[in-house]
Amino acid sequence: MPDSHTVAVLLDDALLTLNRAVGVLRRRNVPIERVALRPTATAGVSQLTFILKADAATADRVAQQFHKIVGVRDVVLAATEESTREVQS
Amino acid sequence: MTETLTGAQILCRTLLEAGVDVIFGYPGGAIMPFYHALGDHPALRHILVRHEQAAAHAADGYARASGRVGVCVATSGPGATNLVTGLATAHMDSSPVVAITGQVPRAMIGRDAFQETDIVGITLPITKQNYLVQDVTELAGVVREALAVAQQGRPGPVLIDVPKDVQNQKTTYTPGAAARATLRDKNTQSLRGAPAAAPGVSASVEDGVREAARLIAAAERPLIMVGHGVIIGNAYAEVRALAEKTGIPVITTLLGISAFPDGHPLFLGMPGMHGEVRVNRAIQHADLIVGIGLRFDDRVTGNTAGFAPRARIVHIDLDRAEIGKNVPVTVGIVGDARDVTHRLAAVVQPRTCERWLAEIHDFTRPRAAAFRGDLAPETILASLYQATEGRCTIVTDVGQHQMWVAKLYPYREPNSHITSGGLGTMGFAVPAAMGVHLARPGETVWAISGDGGFQMNMAEIATMVQERLPVKMAIFNNGYLGMVRQWQQFFHGKRYSCTPIWSPDYVKLAEAYGIPGWRVKEAAELPDVVAQANDYSGPALVEFVIEQEANVYPMIPPGGSLSEPIETAPASAGD
Ligand SMILES: Cc1ncc(C[n+]2csc(CCOP(=O)(O)OP(=O)(O)O)c2C)c(N)n1
Ligand SMILES: [Mg+2]
Repeated sequence: MPDSHTVAVLLDDALLTLNRAVGVLRRRNVPIERVALRPTATAGVSQLTFILKADAATADRVAQQFHKIVGVRDVVLAATEESTREVQS
Repeated sequence: MTETLTGAQILCRTLLEAGVDVIFGYPGGAIMPFYHALGDHPALRHILVRHEQAAAHAADGYARASGRVGVCVATSGPGATNLVTGLATAHMDSSPVVAITGQVPRAMIGRDAFQETDIVGITLPITKQNYLVQDVTELAGVVREALAVAQQGRPGPVLIDVPKDVQNQKTTYTPGAAARATLRDKNTQSLRGAPAAAPGVSASVEDGVREAARLIAAAERPLIMVGHGVIIGNAYAEVRALAEKTGIPVITTLLGISAFPDGHPLFLGMPGMHGEVRVNRAIQHADLIVGIGLRFDDRVTGNTAGFAPRARIVHIDLDRAEIGKNVPVTVGIVGDARDVTHRLAAVVQPRTCERWLAEIHDFTRPRAAAFRGDLAPETILASLYQATEGRCTIVTDVGQHQMWVAKLYPYREPNSHITSGGLGTMGFAVPAAMGVHLARPGETVWAISGDGGFQMNMAEIATMVQERLPVKMAIFNNGYLGMVRQWQQFFHGKRYSCTPIWSPDYVKLAEAYGIPGWRVKEAAELPDVVAQANDYSGPALVEFVIEQEANVYPMIPPGGSLSEPIETAPASAGD
């Protein structure tokens, strides 16, 4: 079974930002296991979480791309087991 | 100071306030209010192109030549979609272009209205940022932010889609106000790069520089590899200082060409698919590569598994996401090419690389006489160099001629070589050269194209005539889509499927547009014709009739190793 990594992206509640974030993942063509979008404690900020079927280097390569999106506030990458909790914002 | 203006007027005013003096565009229904307002802003020069693709390429050429934002404008629907290739080209080559598109009125959006297209959706993956303006009160802030985002950090294209009714809507306007504060903050935050230290990426520039200096001191066979980032970041002097203090030989990628003087004793040339044998062999023997402002593109590395097998890699790039993306690095330094190289040059120990240089010198192969007849690309480019005294900007298209120019023209001035590298867009040269001319009005610009690529955007000759843009056009006519034909010869059993390409009589074409045109078939005619075209006050065209089946050597087959170049044509049934 390939490694599994979780990428949590904290971003502005804006459809275009969300669209860009999802687009990055599709564009980099990395297989995902699960995807979830949920509100955070901070108004105007959502958390988009992907579980990637990818090794650490690939997951890092993808995670880096999110930092470039205007409207993304933080990106947290972790091996899947440890990261099911909500990222603090 | 506050006045009431329409959205269309605000577009003009915000552009002018940002120092934009020329825009490239094409009108249509959804952008008409903007074109109406343009009439009241003569300081904003509009260049009417013949196809919106050319507007985007011209804005890109302007941006690359000036380092400032290039602006293009189109209407909704087909106007907007015609920009797409130009925006993708700018995106791949990190060029700060801002595109403004008209959109159908807000009430019509989502109803598949006439000439409605989701240009924001279409350009999402090929822009750094894009906007659909929802209300005129947002407009000034959005334009200011777009201009800033396009230039900040690693540059790139940004699109602003403005519904027609928003262009007509009125609001109060305050000149010179800052971009929306909230957005600007977020923007700098997101451009700050990843805080987390990943494998190879130094925690700070200082750490990285110290580590890189240590590796440089210990290396026996080091190389400096220079990319587009050195041109964008204006780091020529710093790179040269680093090279001269350490004696490390320098190679430049396709987009790094002209970032280091061609005649310099430490200059080796271009690596990669069509790199010189000695450059690629130097990479394969190197024990250290210091890459500055480049992304280790596959055209440079060949198969990454076999790339620089003995080398540790120091990678300096502004974009954190580039570090470790294509090749594993020992030291990654996230930062501006100029700043980091300056700091590195300050701390490295002076040294020389005499033995290594001699070793590389022994890798040199005599260039085999690859051309029949005397009108070889080398001869053509020599006469061009002579006529211009090396003081011109050359914009190339895509194909064999592009590689010949990259390899054979001895660039002297920084940023005097402009080409579509990442996307490899045929049709780029002619319109991009118009933008280069407007960015550098006092300098000569030559657009060098193949017979294929020239025919993609040759309608722009009319733009040059109408707008008085004295671009010199050279066509390397080999009667083929030459680079594809070469691949067919090497990898497809010489089946020249759909690559022979017919051309019109280019001299008559020039005549039809009312510009001078020449056809050159022999080397003896070169000096005269090239000098005449070069000195002519307006646009001019020269066709060079070159050998049809000449090839670009050496060549690393796609996905192959830099160690195994093709240096002669394969024997085939057709020969
Ligand atoms: C828009 C576009 N379409 C197709 C290609 C693929 N392509 C790369 S080089 C080339 C041939 C170019 O022919 P020409 O312009 O005559 O230049 P030459 O190679 O003969 O110098 C083609 C078709 C491309 N790069 N860009
Ligand atoms: Mg050709």
